[in-house]
Amino acid sequence: MSLAVEMNGISKRFGTVQALDSVCLRVKRQSIHALVGENGAGKTTLMRVLYGALQPDFGTVALDGKPCRFRNSSEAIRAGVGMVSQHYSIIPQINCLDNLMLGAEPGFVLSRSSAKRRADELAARMGFEFDWEADAATLSPSGAQKLEILKLLWREARVMILDEPTAMLSPSDSDALYASLKQLTEQGATIIVVTHRLPEVLENCQQVTVLRGGRNVVSADVKDTNGPMLAEWIVGQSMHGAPDRRPPASDEIVLEAIGLSAKGDRGNLALKSVGFKVRKGEILGIAGVDGSGQRELFRALLGLVKPVQGKLLYRGRNLIPATVADRLRQGFRIIVEDRHEEGVIDDWPLIENAALGLHWLPQMTRKTAVCARYAFMRFALAVRHGKQAKQLAVPYLRQTGWIDFAARRREAQRIADRFDTRHGGLHQPMSSLSGGNQQRFVAGRALSNDPQLILAFQPSRGLDISASQKLYQTIREECGKGASAIVVSFDLDELMENCDRIVAMCNGRMAEPPKDKARDRNAIGRLMVGADA
Amino acid sequence: MMALAPRLQDVAKPLLRVAPVAAVAVGLIVGAFLFANVSPAVALSTLATSAFGTPQGFSKTLEETAPLLIAGIAVFVALKAGLFNIGVEGQLLVGAFAAALAGQHFRGSVGVLACLLAGMAAGLIWALPAGLIKALRNGHEVITTIMLNNIAVLTTQYLAGGPFKDPTSQSPRTVPIDASVAMPSFHVGSQLMVSPALVIGLALVVGISVWLFRTVAGYELRATGANPTAAKFAGVNAKTMIVYSMGASGAIGGLAGALQVLAFKGQFYDGFSPGYGFTGLGVALLAGNSPLGLLPSALLFGALAKGATSMQSLLGVPKGITYVVMGLLIVTYAVVRYRKAVAHD
Amino acid sequence: MISDALSNLVFQTVILASPLILAALGGYFSERSGVVNIALEGKMLMAACLSTVVVIHTQSPWLSLAAGILAATVFSGVHWMMTQVYRIDAVVSGMAINAISLGGSNFVNSKMIDPRYSGPMPYFWAGALWAIAMAAPALVWAYSRWTRSGLRLMAVGSDPDKARTMGVNPLWVRCLALAGTGLLCGLSGTLIASNAGSFQDNMTAGRGYIALAALILGGWRPVPTALACLAFGLFQAIELSLQGTVRIPSQAWNSLPYLVAILAIAGFSAKNRAPAGTGKL
Repeated sequence: MSLAVEMNGISKRFGTVQALDSVCLRVKRQSIHALVGENGAGKTTLMRVLYGALQPDFGTVALDGKPCRFRNSSEAIRAGVGMVSQHYSIIPQINCLDNLMLGAEPGFVLSRSSAKRRADELAARMGFEFDWEADAATLSPSGAQKLEILKLLWREARVMILDEPTAMLSPSDSDALYASLKQLTEQGATIIVVTHRLPEVLENCQQVTVLRGGRNVVSADVKDTNGPMLAEWIVGQSMHGAPDRRPPASDEIVLEAIGLSAKGDRGNLALKSVGFKVRKGEILGIAGVDGSGQRELFRALLGLVKPVQGKLLYRGRNLIPATVADRLRQGFRIIVEDRHEEGVIDDWPLIENAALGLHWLPQMTRKTAVCARYAFMRFALAVRHGKQAKQLAVPYLRQTGWIDFAARRREAQRIADRFDTRHGGLHQPMSSLSGGNQQRFVAGRALSNDPQLILAFQPSRGLDISASQKLYQTIREECGKGASAIVVSFDLDELMENCDRIVAMCNGRMAEPPKDKARDRNAIGRLMVGADA
Repeated sequence: MMALAPRLQDVAKPLLRVAPVAAVAVGLIVGAFLFANVSPAVALSTLATSAFGTPQGFSKTLEETAPLLIAGIAVFVALKAGLFNIGVEGQLLVGAFAAALAGQHFRGSVGVLACLLAGMAAGLIWALPAGLIKALRNGHEVITTIMLNNIAVLTTQYLAGGPFKDPTSQSPRTVPIDASVAMPSFHVGSQLMVSPALVIGLALVVGISVWLFRTVAGYELRATGANPTAAKFAGVNAKTMIVYSMGASGAIGGLAGALQVLAFKGQFYDGFSPGYGFTGLGVALLAGNSPLGLLPSALLFGALAKGATSMQSLLGVPKGITYVVMGLLIVTYAVVRYRKAVAHD
Repeated sequence: MISDALSNLVFQTVILASPLILAALGGYFSERSGVVNIALEGKMLMAACLSTVVVIHTQSPWLSLAAGILAATVFSGVHWMMTQVYRIDAVVSGMAINAISLGGSNFVNSKMIDPRYSGPMPYFWAGALWAIAMAAPALVWAYSRWTRSGLRLMAVGSDPDKARTMGVNPLWVRCLALAGTGLLCGLSGTLIASNAGSFQDNMTAGRGYIALAALILGGWRPVPTALACLAFGLFQAIELSLQGTVRIPSQAWNSLPYLVAILAIAGFSAKNRAPAGTGKL
């Protein structure tokens, strides 16, 4: 029996990076095959080759024993290969039926009634239900996921690739998804799931292929493996032991949110009556599936979005009227989710990027001696202290709005050195840095100049293990000096390892595990789903 | 050695992009001249001698350059904040009209100041709606400013031909300003005439340069233009920035009009602006990253304007050639400069 | 008497609104595919100019129509190339096209159209173009809703990246869309020259921008846009018939469309926003 998919010796190089090195993949017909590995292991790249979005430098691809070469995704689609990417390709402004049809319309003139009939039939096959006329913007993540699967069926895909399908789903939705996938394999499809969630692999998939650093590590039947073995293959070293004890944070409450509600991008209520406290010196971790309201929470905390309801107190005072600039002045710092959009200006040199968010700091602007107050004090001090007057009068210099370039350069150097950002000179544009180095720079900037409240959104994204450790170590140091930190991550293990206390957000609400289960992974996982701990 | 190689690559790629476009542009211009039965070489030399050949010619070139420079500065300031102020034409007109009115009632150097301030205020008021709509409603400023332009033309046309018309004149024009507020050109050397308007323009360029690159406020403006979201995360109040920069841009546009009245024309009339605002857009687009680029850019267009008159009278080349050249210059330059970045995968 | 005046008014409205409708629908295609288009003015102008040149030299109505459409389409194609292939900002390239059109039409007018020419100028029958203008909005609406390329147009304008992953190439969709813009602007420009019976420098006189205003007022939907154009045409028709008896200066009437457009932009709710993918590549 020939394999549904056979990829042999696939190699792909991007500039200096060898993304794939002689990788092989063998998928049996009508199976659910898991492709696992860390970030950057090459999983998505390999699938993009299969899907025709990328041409390999070397290697062959064969479907059902017949060799193929796809020059673009349309050819792959025609050959029966379909992919659902991690970020759904649903266009919110057009309705569900149009989203389903786009790119594979039944004819030049669209007969919506017959299209609807076919859509209903496909949906019934999977047990789904859709309001075809509704705008796709109304779909929930799991609804969008279902539509994506229907898109594959519409195009009569025989090989379906799902990239991180459960990234946006709650555990119960994930179970439902895998049930659907099983049904699809019974109907003749072959499914490849790209994931890093080991429990799902162990429970639902038949075979697994592990990639690390662009190379094959192993391919095996799932029943012959277990969690620790897979983890070790993925990471390549045994996992660390339990995290060491931390000094208890003080009792002083620095930030308090009571009944905070805020609207999201689409006008819906994304934060629903959230309440929590952060103590001085504490690192609070927020767990949760992407899209549970963490983004909106950070925006409300930073001041970009005004809450529609609730109270927010910082050091006892009402924070809500404070602008972003006010909060930055009070020591708020943010490691943004999307550097490119929110954190840096690509065309600007590193020096200018270093000042973003800190540009108004007194130490970055010049002081002038040209003012009456300084003159008076200098004179008065000279009368009393003679030669030391100049030194003593420094605090009376007037702050101006002129840039102190030397100070900026020093600061930029310091920020770059903090996490060993590799760069070609401080006058080089930000875009000349690699992604990982950009993240190091952004993190360095956020943790400089006396932060008081650190908001970190997926701070270790793009960073390798040692940089990530150093980052959390630095956050810990700053907290030791009296700061506090809130970390949002979609990786529960990262939070377990680095945070003092963990809360979970689900669907806009926040829940904290009871004291006896404060570090119980399962309890937190249940809260992430909306169940009780 | 390693440092040199990437540099070459940085230069070669844009050059390869520009080359075909530049070739087409040059070809079109040459073709246009041939079409008009004029040798391109002759046309070019006529333009050059007319614009730069004689002191009188050069003085006229500088006269054309002055309003273009200041209009260019106005567009540039808004451009740095990420806004397209196409409305400089209208702001210039209302500024000129306001100055023409004020010039009838004020005297002396205080009067000059009053006229200039009146012009700036008028320009600012005219630009404000576009700025507010953009800041509060995210309404595209290109369209609102174009609309305001048209309203400005019609309004000033009506006012100059109706309630404020000079009763002694046949055509729609305002009463001439008082002689004491006029700003006549002065001699540089024996034959060259330079206008105070140009001097003010130069000073403005230097001032804007310093402000944009050496102050915190200028930094925030540039950040808003470069990446509005990142600027917001850095504490910059985007709405304030938008309104301030449109306002400043409008004020400078009004100043251009006011100076045009005080330094050259002495009154406002229907058809006052032969497209200064429009050409000012070209000046700003070609200026590049630094305000200092506005100087050669404005001079180029000023020379083009002066040379075009000679080319028309001496060679029969229609005046439209200036706009054609401007458009082609913008296209060629924009291929490298105004390239939109594509999102990374 | 009143019915005479009324029917005259309706007639005038149709004549004045037709070029606006055609141009606005041209803008519709461009903007709906995600390309901001402030160059309607320039395309119309070149169409008017070239159709006049051809009508004088060949005396053929069909050739002059073809010339007008060709002129606008070529400029539209250049616009497409500048924004999609060379990735120049759409506003900058639009202004450049307007500049080239303004200068170019002046050039051609001076060199190829004799101002003393008083012979026959058999433009394409304006009546046919008015009819097309009246029918076009419904046709465009049907195209957007009931055809495959219409769906792809909307998809690319809403989110070009996602459309690309679905196998739709935004580059070609926009090429087709801008070709449509060229066709409609060509019809509009030819109609303007035909209505007037000759070509003057800058004869479009800002109507390209009024068409854009109408498109915005209409929320980027074909039929409301056409209604806005009819409203503007009505304003102009009223102004013409009131001339002489007027207490309100003509400039005030002429400013109304622009003023209304600004108020509309200022007052817009989320429903009437521009296509979400505007400006994205």
